[in-house]
Amino acid sequence: MRLLQVSFRYRRRQPFILEEADAQLAPGDVIELTGVNGAGKSTLLRLLAGLARPTRGRITDRPGVVGFAPDRFPTSQPFTVTAYLNHMASVRGGAWRPWAERLNMGHLLGLPLGELSKGSAHKVGLAQALMADPGLLILDEPFAGLDADARETLPAIATEVAGRGGIVIASDHQGGLRGLPGLRSWSVVDGRLKEATPAATGHERDPERPRVTVAVTLPADELPLFLTRMRDKGYQAGEIEDAPALPHPAEEPG
Amino acid sequence: MIALAVFRLAAYVRSHRVHQALLLTLAMLAIVYGSRAPKGTEAAVLADGAVLIIPILAWATRSLLDTEPDRQRELSAIMVGGRGKEVGAGLVASLAACAGLAALGLGWAVLLGLSERPGRDVLGAALVLHALAVLAGTALGALTSRAVLRSPAVSIMSLVLGFLVMLLLSASPAYWLTVPLVVWMRTAGSGELLDQLPQLAAISLVWCLAGLALYAWRRRRVG
Repeated sequence: MRLLQVSFRYRRRQPFILEEADAQLAPGDVIELTGVNGAGKSTLLRLLAGLARPTRGRITDRPGVVGFAPDRFPTSQPFTVTAYLNHMASVRGGAWRPWAERLNMGHLLGLPLGELSKGSAHKVGLAQALMADPGLLILDEPFAGLDADARETLPAIATEVAGRGGIVIASDHQGGLRGLPGLRSWSVVDGRLKEATPAATGHERDPERPRVTVAVTLPADELPLFLTRMRDKGYQAGEIEDAPALPHPAEEPG
Repeated sequence: MIALAVFRLAAYVRSHRVHQALLLTLAMLAIVYGSRAPKGTEAAVLADGAVLIIPILAWATRSLLDTEPDRQRELSAIMVGGRGKEVGAGLVASLAACAGLAALGLGWAVLLGLSERPGRDVLGAALVLHALAVLAGTALGALTSRAVLRSPAVSIMSLVLGFLVMLLLSASPAYWLTVPLVVWMRTAGSGELLDQLPQLAAISLVWCLAGLALYAWRRRRVG
């Protein structure tokens, strides 16, 4: 998925909220988006979700299934949690009950949406976003109001989504995803999207740590992007001209 | 898209907003068909009913579309795979609700509002007029829904004025500039409805589709 010179404003003659944003999102990325209130984070998330069209530029290769968990789930709807999630599952397909269990929502299922606390409503928003295995998962302030269990579960869920090739992007003031390896950090400052240079990783700071060299097999046309990404993350990555042939899995003893 | 339309219909019913349109419909039917129409006036009475139900259907559409919170509308668009499908699902749900109310109106009129059963041709014409009323009501209600007009006051005034403009314009020589409601009633009263129905239906259909297209275009722009 790519953002190519994306600019956005709500109306003509109004200032741009986002200007000339360029970015590439690859399968497996987990991105933390920060910025002061009103900086344009939610606008960027809406653009990524396809809810708004760029005024200029374009967004290409958006995954087919998008999950969006809003910062404030709309509770003023005449459904119980179960009825609501059943309807959403009919619309989208997918199963919501496993996610409800992981988010510890069992005691909420029979309650009307209007009676939910902020954190409980937020869990409903997360469950509907996750139910169809999204290729792009967008989380707007996902940790706001969540209980401790759910706060601990959410980074693992983000890792799982990324692990099966999904892209996760979370607008997060609370740094709930900071511990995740390979986390990319975006910020919106004065309408400009910036990606923070990764901090020095442990192996750079500590040359005494043991090192290994691994071989990775990938399509040739993806090599430049792969090397760039690895270097961005602080690893020494380079092409081996005469790489030894890797054993085929079927030939391995075992 | 059908599942999303079912979701919106369910929300409309479970929120009890459907009762507003239902009570308005029943009140209109009780007044218009309070006494059985004499023989020979079947077409005129049925055409009157088709015209008078339009503002109620517009109200029903506006009410149904506004039941969904704005943020849920965004979630629905993502869920169903795009704005276009979300807009389509809303219109399908509105058309279904309006068709139910119009069927109630026509059924009441035929069973309780007439001295004699109308002929097949008159019944067919009444069916066409009620179908056009469903389209006209849906288009007017959609164009005055919150996703297009944010202010509730402006929205309600636009709905009422829109219907009045349709009546006034269709009473003028330039009746073809809108859904010709007054011409429906006038030709039905003079016995010319069956002859002029194809032309009137074509004009009505064009304006109804134009209204629905305008709604879809506005939704693309404003979200």
